[in-house]
Amino acid sequence: MMRRLLALLLVVTACSAPPPPRSAVTPSPPSPATLAAPTGDHPVGTTVLHLTDTSRPDPWNLDAKARELKVTLWYPGEPGAGARAAYMSPKESELVLRGSRAEGVPPDMLSRTVVYATETAPAPGRFPLVVLSPGFTKPVSTLTSLAEDLASRGYVVAGIDHTYESYATTLSDGRVTECLACDSDTDPGFGTGVVQNRAADVSFVLDELLSRRKEIDRTRIAMVGQSIGGASALATMAADRRVRAGVNLDGTTYARIPRDFARPFMFVGTPEHASGGRDNSWDRDWKLLTGGKRWLVVKGADHQSFTDLPQLLGALGMKPLLGTPSAARLAEITRTYVAAFLDEHLKSRPQPLLKEASPSFPEIEFCPDACGA
Amino acid sequence: MRAVAAGLVVLLATVTACSTPEPPRSAGGSPEKSACARPAGPPGDETPTTIDVIEQAYFCILGNSFSGAKLDAGTLLAAGFTALTRELNRAGRDDPAAVMPPLTGDRTADWAAFETVYRKVAGPDEALAVATLQAMVASLGDNHARWSPGQERPPGYYDGDGYGLGLQANARGTEALPPLFVTEVPGGAARKAGVRPGDIIESVNGSAPFVDGEPTPAIAALYPQYPEARPVEVGLRREDRRWTVTLEPGLYQRDLPSLQVVQSRLLADDIAYVRVRGFAPDAANRVFRAVSRLRTGRTLTGIVLDLRGNGGGSPVEATRLVSAFAHGKATAYMCNADDNCEAATTDDTVELLGLPLVVLVDRGCASACEHFSSAVKDLRLGTLVGTRTAGMISGPAQPFLLRNNTILSFPTRHHLGPNREVIDRIGVPPDQYVPPTPEDAAAGRDPALARALTLLDG
Repeated sequence: MMRRLLALLLVVTACSAPPPPRSAVTPSPPSPATLAAPTGDHPVGTTVLHLTDTSRPDPWNLDAKARELKVTLWYPGEPGAGARAAYMSPKESELVLRGSRAEGVPPDMLSRTVVYATETAPAPGRFPLVVLSPGFTKPVSTLTSLAEDLASRGYVVAGIDHTYESYATTLSDGRVTECLACDSDTDPGFGTGVVQNRAADVSFVLDELLSRRKEIDRTRIAMVGQSIGGASALATMAADRRVRAGVNLDGTTYARIPRDFARPFMFVGTPEHASGGRDNSWDRDWKLLTGGKRWLVVKGADHQSFTDLPQLLGALGMKPLLGTPSAARLAEITRTYVAAFLDEHLKSRPQPLLKEASPSFPEIEFCPDACGA
Repeated sequence: MRAVAAGLVVLLATVTACSTPEPPRSAGGSPEKSACARPAGPPGDETPTTIDVIEQAYFCILGNSFSGAKLDAGTLLAAGFTALTRELNRAGRDDPAAVMPPLTGDRTADWAAFETVYRKVAGPDEALAVATLQAMVASLGDNHARWSPGQERPPGYYDGDGYGLGLQANARGTEALPPLFVTEVPGGAARKAGVRPGDIIESVNGSAPFVDGEPTPAIAALYPQYPEARPVEVGLRREDRRWTVTLEPGLYQRDLPSLQVVQSRLLADDIAYVRVRGFAPDAANRVFRAVSRLRTGRTLTGIVLDLRGNGGGSPVEATRLVSAFAHGKATAYMCNADDNCEAATTDDTVELLGLPLVVLVDRGCASACEHFSSAVKDLRLGTLVGTRTAGMISGPAQPFLLRNNTILSFPTRHHLGPNREVIDRIGVPPDQYVPPTPEDAAAGRDPALARALTLLDG
């Protein structure tokens, strides 16, 4: 079953740039994961919004006249106890595991993952906003570790579940939709279509959040995503000037970058995304970015290293691949560098970490001048 | 023809690479040297082609190709040597030692003799190695055999982009009938120059597309492939107007919805029209879902499957699609060199659609598309309308990884139709011949589709 899971988790990337297979199976019965604690000063609150864009039909469900989206907010919260939020629902866990062909794991296993956010109210003040977009087939919960950390550091995080592009999305009426987009994911132009659609999702979500949520500083907005979510960060910035900075965690990119695109952007990838590699999309984009750009490669990382997956492996009965940094270390790397980039560009705090390779993070190489191959 | 084959095999390779690969087979050849495994994922960085790569490919073909056991290894070596000497000569460095060694019929000894001469005259020159191996693969004369090192995407490529002049004509190669005319202008230089469907192509780079009714190589020049970038001069006629445009090959953006592999709509209130551009993984299920959606709340009276331009893909998907129209039948046979054949039988878990069927076909329907079309015809599941299919279905291509991280692919079994007839190179003739015309293309008419609707109405 582990092996199948493995296969599953890798399936999505298998036809693009798949990571090396993970190794074998643990014998002990798996137990739920506890995510790494957030590192910032703020307690973390969370809430779910259901938003409906009536201005356009759903791109995947031809019978849906409007686009329904589920948005999870993580924010700096008021101190005080409260029930911890759910990682995902048991039904979502079941569908995600099934989509990932992870039979043999208790179907509700992911829903038992322990997180830190509670339903506490937002702390007073205005905070910069970070939009979060997950990889294809993944719910945005798979980026919870990063989301909670950013909220604890003083950001409002809006994670979007792009309906029908995930194995499981619970809509406002309780229906749980599945991955209609998975039908066509080998079509030519598929990636280009997905990022265009996600850019439209994000612009709509920004319209809604900026008019509803007083805790958001509307002048300081960034977007971070993993895999096609990271590619969507670039596509969104190309289409929506409100997004001032972006981070792409190991996503092959699809959007055409407009001339004189000077807003800051950071690529963070596995060694397969070093300059001159098989996927030339980052090389192509790098030349077109004229702002404060960074291109980091994390030695030993794989495609899912920037998500919660390394922290969930034990619960799924899997072991990390030899030579991969530990789950705790991967969380530290992802959180530290993403926060550094956002702090520099949304909070105007210059970050020595982004200037050059750091002895504290020997895994990080700076591309294209000093990396890989 | 070669251009079509290339595109199609890419699709096939993708499909097989992303589905479950068959375990490697071994037979004949030298077992240890024919060890060319199935790729387990995307290959690593490509390294130069050397004589060792040629050796691996030689034994890989002999050990795995469907005709491998019977293949004359000497033919492979002679083809390679011919290309080698041609390239030496072209480079002005012909060599007195460049003499084809005598062959004994022993595959291993003959390889050793070939390799000795090769090393002496070619050395480590990579261009010579590439030309030699390409010629060996070409000598198989198999439209599903392919080896293409050094393939790179054009710089500035985005997913969904097309490359070329930005036009399609009613023919790509030697199967053409006059007149040659534009059928589609998806973008690029052709669109910028105002080329329109229905425009007659009277010349390509100054040469006539037909001489005495015979198609010429000028037609293939309409379809440059990266890195070919020389401008192409096209002489056009629209009614009485004659003019020439110079079209530069390049990348162009295409309309994304038009690229979807399965597209569907309702025609004449009760006929499901489903276009299938390729047999991608899950193509059959997508067709079934499209039909079921169109069926919701109404009674359908028929289905038109538009397979024109469908370059093939997964034989499994072709078989599953047949299975919506018949159960308990063989849709094709996959055979080894001794004609030991395995039937590709219908998947009887697929629900029968129970609808009259018309299939639109043309010369662009190749490979898995012909597998489907021949099954529909032989099993009398519907009516084929249009023109004869491509005749490019030697067998499903299987990828093998060579030591320099290039992929060599070729069929390990050859294809026969449901009546065990050869489809490869012959194609499947339509039941009703409705050829495209420039007048229809110019007016945006689709006579084949019109015929399909008439058939389903009657």
